[in-house]
Amino acid sequence: MRRIFYIVQKEFRQIRRVRANFAIIFVAPFFQLLIMGSAITTEVKNVPIATLDFDHSVASREILEAVRSTTSFTYVGAVSSEREAAAVLDRGRAKLVVAIPPHFEQQMKDGEAPRVQVLVDGVDGNSAGIALGYIQATLAREQVRMARFAPLAAARAAPRASTITVIPRMWYNPDLMSKLNIVPGLVAVLLMMLTMLLTAMNIVREKEIGTLEQLMVTPIGSIQLIIGKIIPFFVLGLMQLTVGIVAAGLVFGIWMKGSIFLLYAMAAIFCLSTLGFGIFVSTIARTQQQAMFMSWFFMIFSLLLAGFFIPIENMPQAIQDITYINPLRYFIVIIREIYLKGTGFRFLWKEALAMGAIGVLALTSASLRFRKRLK
Amino acid sequence: MNRILFSIVRKEFTHIFRDIQSLYLVLGMPLLMLFLYGYAITLDMRQIDTAVIDESHTPESRELISHLSSTDFFRITARDVPLSDIGDLFKERAARCVLIIPPSFARDLAATGDAQVSLIVDASDPNAANFIRNYVGQVVANENQALNPERSALFTVSPRIFYNPDMRSANFFVPGLIALILILITSLLTSIAIVREKETGTMEQILVSPIRPAQIIVGKVLPYTLIGFIDGVMILVVGSLWFKVPIAGSLALALGMMLVYVITGISLGILISTIAKTQAVAMLVAVTLTVLPSTTMSGFIFPISSMPVFLRWISDIIPATYFLEIIRGIVLKGNTLADLYRQALILLGMDILLIAVSVRAFRVRLG
Amino acid sequence: MSDHLTKGGRVRAAGAGQGPDRAASNGHAVEVRDLTRAFGSFVAVDHVSFSVPKGEIFGFLGANGAGKTTTIRMLCGLLLPTSGTGSVGGYDIVRDSERIKMSIGYMSQRFSLYEDLTVRENLQFFGGIYGLARRAIAARTGELLASVGLAETADKLVGSLPVGFKQRTALSAALLHDPEIVFLDEPTSGVDPVARRSFWLLIYELADRGKTVFVTTHYMDESEYCSRVAIMRLGRIAELENPHRLKERYHASTMQEVFMRVESENGQ
Repeated sequence: MRRIFYIVQKEFRQIRRVRANFAIIFVAPFFQLLIMGSAITTEVKNVPIATLDFDHSVASREILEAVRSTTSFTYVGAVSSEREAAAVLDRGRAKLVVAIPPHFEQQMKDGEAPRVQVLVDGVDGNSAGIALGYIQATLAREQVRMARFAPLAAARAAPRASTITVIPRMWYNPDLMSKLNIVPGLVAVLLMMLTMLLTAMNIVREKEIGTLEQLMVTPIGSIQLIIGKIIPFFVLGLMQLTVGIVAAGLVFGIWMKGSIFLLYAMAAIFCLSTLGFGIFVSTIARTQQQAMFMSWFFMIFSLLLAGFFIPIENMPQAIQDITYINPLRYFIVIIREIYLKGTGFRFLWKEALAMGAIGVLALTSASLRFRKRLK
Repeated sequence: MNRILFSIVRKEFTHIFRDIQSLYLVLGMPLLMLFLYGYAITLDMRQIDTAVIDESHTPESRELISHLSSTDFFRITARDVPLSDIGDLFKERAARCVLIIPPSFARDLAATGDAQVSLIVDASDPNAANFIRNYVGQVVANENQALNPERSALFTVSPRIFYNPDMRSANFFVPGLIALILILITSLLTSIAIVREKETGTMEQILVSPIRPAQIIVGKVLPYTLIGFIDGVMILVVGSLWFKVPIAGSLALALGMMLVYVITGISLGILISTIAKTQAVAMLVAVTLTVLPSTTMSGFIFPISSMPVFLRWISDIIPATYFLEIIRGIVLKGNTLADLYRQALILLGMDILLIAVSVRAFRVRLG
Repeated sequence: MSDHLTKGGRVRAAGAGQGPDRAASNGHAVEVRDLTRAFGSFVAVDHVSFSVPKGEIFGFLGANGAGKTTTIRMLCGLLLPTSGTGSVGGYDIVRDSERIKMSIGYMSQRFSLYEDLTVRENLQFFGGIYGLARRAIAARTGELLASVGLAETADKLVGSLPVGFKQRTALSAALLHDPEIVFLDEPTSGVDPVARRSFWLLIYELADRGKTVFVTTHYMDESEYCSRVAIMRLGRIAELENPHRLKERYHASTMQEVFMRVESENGQ
């Protein structure tokens, strides 16, 4: 209806006047993607490692050399006692210490299987586990090379050993780059932040300055008011999405494999739910401060429970169940599928349906709460 | 002088308690985040949806498959699908990896002793892909071990995990959460409190009185220091009681460092309040300067060592980076001040710098 | 423009210059009976009854917190009464509150304008909200801006204007759709005496054209411009009368005195 047009016109006029808005929509996504896309990585690199050699034999030196040159590690030095090793871990100067016991080479020759210790700083369990895995792979390779030090022991092994080897092939992301996973997810997250936060703040601001009351006195219906408010932020959201897509491509070289049209259609459904949430928040919050807190509250939890950097399947079942009402969860799947695999609507309709349902629910409850009355 | 200060502090507390909704959020949100982070964040995978294509159909291949499925890691959701369907399988997300055992598997094992299996992994989540590759590798290594019982290794590798023997994620995140929450709450609340007075014009009113700017600042800051501190202690207490996070080091030292860190957040808040003209801007700036960097670049979750160099520079100027080392050091490693003096000094330095800058900026705005 | 502000109020003949007919009411623009509004245990408006014939300038006086704004909000459909009945422009304020809105104009205490839009843009917006066609909006805007003297500042941001200009902008916004009844909640607060006077000339203009003006104020001298005033105290109507006759009854020379007496009389 025409009334909606006037609300939309007013909103755009107000938005245009604030110079900061241009920065938020067109400039900020570049920086946000650059910084967060580069920072958020679960890859393990440059791990500081120290060595402790009690044997000082050719074998021990060879093993430690191999350890030092393992990629992903940065050698920080050798320690000469267990106490020093512990101190180096305590101070955080190294995250791993590989210790070769005394008489290592001799024990190998005698077939007594000496024990190489790997001291690990276990505070960050995930990185520790990954780093440990790398070291163990290196050491496993060394097992084979050590054979020439202990030909007898090696010969005692079964003459014909059976080995099954696994040939892995990584689809969609052969170099296992974190950014391919994170960047599209970030684009989704940025979209949610903008649409939800700005909508909530905008309406609460009108509440605070009194223009909302003025609008309530007019014949405009509350549904018209809501639609009029949604449209500008919907448009802004799609604009920001575009910038995000371009930024992902220019900054990280990540362009989508799948249908751009599908992505925008899905984004539109997604925005329905985020805008709905935004309006819902605005009906509860009485001041802009509260609106901010509440929106952030929702967003932090949505982020955590959306499979952004922690796969949902890893979480306890009870928490997994909560994620079903989080629209971001579905949109992150969608944007990643479209970007990395070129997945079509055929396999994404369930997610689309879920987002749509949540969106309708959010908007309905928001408009029910949005009465044209005070108190 | 004390009476004036007291009246500002009292007014500030009144504001805080009147706005019950915000109070709930300030005290409740950290707790909720604590529970979520404590339970939800784990990069350990279980029940990975796997498809198996057994082209060999021999006891050996079936044995391998049963070893795979008997672990908690893998859950076989599809068997013997045609190779051409793998793409669809991945797009449907019905499986994350496909193990393909070639027809010559058993024959190869018997003949040369070396057989190959293919593992196709949906690497759109590279971290998961890594895990999958490692887990499958482990299963196969065990299988190899079973096939060659007499073969013994030349040397064994035994890992010793320090500080967090079970590598529990709760131990990693709970102290970290303190860093995050503290800086967010203190900087946010402080900046809003000051900007709000600017907006409503009451700041002008106060300045007309004989009060000195320093008194205004201190008076506003004290209540939020207290709240921030309470939040930190709360997380620590709940973390250790509920999540059984052990506190290896000195509690007093931890609390002392918390205080230093809280002051950092507050002086940041004051600085922000001198730039921001409205509450909305104050909030936006506070959050951007604290939450974003502290979550992504301080080592809270993602290791700093893995980041590109230019980001590591940013990490170096984030207070949370240092506090994280301090709090994790004290709580998990039992670090003493001797171990942490470098980080503590840097934090103190930041405090002094921020306070000096913000007090000057505050005076400039008024004058 | 009639420069005829008479003390002792103006009495208009009912039925002059009215709009299209509507159901109910014997020609009264506003009619309330036993209107009550409580907020929890606090009774803000306590069984208030009055009726305002068409074309009257009806004043609502009272100290802060007496219940004036609450009453206006109920009449505008912003608040639901706890009990009692009322009709505005012939429509029931409980059942037909939405229908009321097209026939009323409302100017709030805070002026409720968009500070980051220009005067013209504010008017364009509210005109559109009231469903006026684009050409009608342009015409009405031009008219109103001229009559309130804002023609030169039409394209300035409202936020940059002094209070008097904001006030006139807010009034224009309330009048765009040519409502028959206009509710003005403390329209002159914070405005200088010269601006106040010219504002009242505008109000007289409106009344001349047959509009009913319902105005709250706590400037006692302004009350003398009204046809009748109701003095509200603690949610009740203490007096409802023509100001001239009130002064006679209380043997007072100004409404200020009348008001003080009313306050002290009822305050046992």
